[in-house]
Amino acid sequence: MKIIQHLKKRPSLIVYTGIIILAIMISNKLGITIDNLGQAWGNAGILWSEMFPPDFSVVTERASWSQTKCTWDADWACSAAIHGLAETIEIAFLATLFGMLLSLPLSMMAAHNLSPIWLSTITRQFLAGLRVLPSLVWALIFVIMFGPGPLAGVLAMTLYTVGYLGKLQYEALEGVSRHPLEAARAMGLPRWQVARYFALPEASNAILSQILFMFEYNIRHGSVIGLVGAGGIGWYLNNYLGVFSRYDRALALIIVIYVAVVIIDQISLSIRHRFMDSETHAPRARWREIIPFFTKREV
Amino acid sequence: MPTPVLSIRQAVIGFEKDKPLLVDVNLDIHPGEIIGIIGRSGIGKSTLLRTIAGLLSPLSGDIDVPSARGEIGYIPQRLGLINHHNVGYNVMMGALARAPFWQTLFSLPGIELRESARSAIEAVGLSDKVLDSISQLSGGQQQRVAIARSMVQQPTLLLADECLGELDSETAKEIIELIQKLAKENNIAIIIVDHNPVRVATFCDRVLQVKGTHIEEVNV
Repeated sequence: MKIIQHLKKRPSLIVYTGIIILAIMISNKLGITIDNLGQAWGNAGILWSEMFPPDFSVVTERASWSQTKCTWDADWACSAAIHGLAETIEIAFLATLFGMLLSLPLSMMAAHNLSPIWLSTITRQFLAGLRVLPSLVWALIFVIMFGPGPLAGVLAMTLYTVGYLGKLQYEALEGVSRHPLEAARAMGLPRWQVARYFALPEASNAILSQILFMFEYNIRHGSVIGLVGAGGIGWYLNNYLGVFSRYDRALALIIVIYVAVVIIDQISLSIRHRFMDSETHAPRARWREIIPFFTKREV
Repeated sequence: MPTPVLSIRQAVIGFEKDKPLLVDVNLDIHPGEIIGIIGRSGIGKSTLLRTIAGLLSPLSGDIDVPSARGEIGYIPQRLGLINHHNVGYNVMMGALARAPFWQTLFSLPGIELRESARSAIEAVGLSDKVLDSISQLSGGQQQRVAIARSMVQQPTLLLADECLGELDSETAKEIIELIQKLAKENNIAIIIVDHNPVRVATFCDRVLQVKGTHIEEVNV
């Protein structure tokens, strides 16, 4: 009786207790038991002993078994880590570039304030469809279609970038003030001109920041898609973990990926801060200067 | 009397048919005429302007406005400038309506359009600010940019919504002079919404007041 009275006073306890009971029931159903965890600890111990110390020869030795040809003379430049990382960055760059080129017009079509409702609804559904599958699954599909290699990686990440970046961009475009758009509409300008010359420049700081974020995201995911054969450093990692069973080298690669991602994160963050620091004093993004005719000396 | 630029007959303005903001609106405006619309906040002045601009449809009645592209200029309450861009870009946007299709496609305004933008910027006294971002300008300078954009557009009807609202009296006087110049030199019909009846009376040819759901001409 005391317990019931106590629970009546603090109803949140019932919720917490319910969640804990539910978690225990689900764990039992999925076979996540203390016995299994104990066994996993044993395997983790074996893996740990084989991983340490990490073998950093992956940074210095030439990897003659790479997917793409390495033409550099220096061995380190053609090592699994450096060659793989360069390939991952190249895949991410191409995927971000192609993704941006495709997503920009799509995001304008998807924005409610720029397109008729039927067009924005269809475009949104299309973008959502691209986001349904993660880039890893797209990579698997393209590896089956085009064979293993960076092409599959670029295509997979381009599709995912279009879906993801398209959503971020149409949200940024919808956040634009209605006043410039109304001034443009009153002029009688067609929709594409309103979007291109009024909405896009107004949202450009946010869009530029999103593109940089996407590039950074693609580099991180570029490491993963290699696991299914779609090129990049992930492919080397997959081979060290699987075919070669060289866990010490795999750990060295993981450390290289970690350091690279941290550096790229910091660079991307500092560049993005330049555009997002403040509403009023954000520096102008130079690529928006579409009128090269105006210079101080001309006027 | 020349043909009116704008002709409104028996128009009902608002968002819901059972709650119209303005009823029985009748109005003719001729080239070169400046009309001031006054009335308290939220009464429907801006909605009337947006309806004339074609951004909203009238609930009923006829609004006969110039239908060709670029014939209507609209300066919204917050001016509708692209804040992250510079003065030159914003003024050039007025030329979009007049530019041939291929120029708008490749962002390459022709010499004539560039010249008209340059002279409009000179006319509003912002030649030294061409490359300055809009967010770096004062309220009065931003108003000048909006007017320069309309100068480049060369509309036959210009609608300005509270464009003198937050300006000090000296700057407001300068902007009024620009508006008068725009109307007389280019023969543009201008409708300007303002909340200051005394100020409006000093430069408008006619003043209309919104009272309740009706609009009527007044002598201020």
